[in-house]
Amino acid sequence: MLELKDLVFSVDEKDGENGGQKIEIIKGIDYSFEKGKFYAVTGPNGSGKTTLARLIMGINKETSGSIIFEGEDITGLSITERAKLGISYSFQHPARFKGITFRDLLAIAGETDDEEKLLSIVRRMGICPLSFLDKPVDSTLSGGEIKKIELATTIARNPKLAIYDEPDTGIDLWTIMPMVNLLKNEQEENGTTTIVVSHNKSFFEVADTILILNGGAIIYEGDMEGALPMLADFRICNFIPCERGEMDARCFR
Amino acid sequence: MLDALDKNLLKAVAELEEIPHGAYNIRKNGKLLTRSTTANIDIETNEEVDGITVKIAPGTVNESVHIPVILSKAGLHDTVYNKFIVGEGSDVTIVAGCGIHCGGPEPEGHEGIHEFIVKSGAKIKYVERHYAGGLGAGKRTLNPTTKVVLESNAVMEMELTQIGGVDEAVRLNEAVLGPGSSLLIVERVMTDKNQSAVSRNEIILEGIDSRSNMVSRSVIKGKSNQDFYATIIARARCHGHIECDAIIMGDGTNKTIPALHAEHPDAELSHEASIGKIAGDQLMKLMSMGMSYDDAVNTIIQGFLR
Repeated sequence: MLELKDLVFSVDEKDGENGGQKIEIIKGIDYSFEKGKFYAVTGPNGSGKTTLARLIMGINKETSGSIIFEGEDITGLSITERAKLGISYSFQHPARFKGITFRDLLAIAGETDDEEKLLSIVRRMGICPLSFLDKPVDSTLSGGEIKKIELATTIARNPKLAIYDEPDTGIDLWTIMPMVNLLKNEQEENGTTTIVVSHNKSFFEVADTILILNGGAIIYEGDMEGALPMLADFRICNFIPCERGEMDARCFR
Repeated sequence: MLDALDKNLLKAVAELEEIPHGAYNIRKNGKLLTRSTTANIDIETNEEVDGITVKIAPGTVNESVHIPVILSKAGLHDTVYNKFIVGEGSDVTIVAGCGIHCGGPEPEGHEGIHEFIVKSGAKIKYVERHYAGGLGAGKRTLNPTTKVVLESNAVMEMELTQIGGVDEAVRLNEAVLGPGSSLLIVERVMTDKNQSAVSRNEIILEGIDSRSNMVSRSVIKGKSNQDFYATIIARARCHGHIECDAIIMGDGTNKTIPALHAEHPDAELSHEASIGKIAGDQLMKLMSMGMSYDDAVNTIIQGFLR
């Protein structure tokens, strides 16, 4: 349902000895996401996970290559146009507003201001109490609260494709499983194709496919069992500039 | 008595469709148009200066006073001095505002000085809206001054809004707070084209445990300019905060100068100020929910000025 064809994203190196040169963040990814499947995308910091997610939503514009969504080439389409086609995106660091409430955002996302419909979305999310609806989405919200709002507005779109960028950031340990279950439930009940960018094993366990990115390329596609040895490998420090000589080798990652 | 133009202006500044219930005083083109008083709220013409004195009896609750001013006469510059005495323990809403309709090339303007004496334990909400419309090229000027004295444990909320169409505005808000009293000022100003608006605020926290919060939201479109000055002077154990945010759209300019003066060691004062364009992450969030760029901008601005 979503096809990435030789997708490249590069930026200009501004400073240093490589100043003016192009750096490829995403290096020609070819991949097909199947309808209704749950994908967990992981990989070390700087591997291009978030960039890949943003390219699909149209937040970043690809340097070359194309994106096909349900048979339609959406490469040149704006964020708004992609949203209208059924792609929904949950930001890692959600925007905070002044004077806009959770109810306002939910009404925009769900395209309704009907009280009952809004309440049913909130109940589906398991957000309590319902008075939460009239909270302003500003700097007074905790990290966990704003992530719940972000998730709710993503789900309220009833998307065909939902992309979640690190949904567990700022969420306490006890809330992660209900969140994983919620996203899994949305996938199973509504057939939502789901892409979760995360470092959290709980998402890998429910994913149909795990994709590991490294250096802007997909280096693994498969199940949890096959992914684990590679993920374990990432935990070993292989970041040479961090070491302070052989005698005092320490990992600073 | 009210023509269609008057009704439009009244709706914009006082949210009134018709003559309001309760006490009111409607001033049109520098003269009294109509007035009504109640058993608890008296409105008298001030003989010494052009204006009115509104006296609210102690203990008056759940009543409101509407005192809109409408201008639609070319070349008129109306000046008014209104005084409000809010009796002990009362709880009232006062809605003021000025609407200008400018149909020709001559300038029109209004200078309103509103002085409030809020007695002990009284609670008042003051809503003031300014709006100018009409197709005329004449300059529309609105220069309001608000002077507030809050006696002990008095509470005042001020909602000051300049909706649009005002070419030049110089606002002055002054307040002196007694012990245990509290003041919230929320000011919202939107300017466009070559308009300019200056807001000067001075809040003196005179009494022990007095509290004030000044919130300013500015939207600066076109080539307009807004300057915002707010000073809190603390002379007792007290709490004061200034929050001023400006969004610049187009080629507008803004100066924001919050100042805190602690003249007492137990004063707690803070301020936060920001000037910038609409945040990219806010736009992207709304667009990712299917909104167009223009609708997203409007939604953010409407929320910001809410």
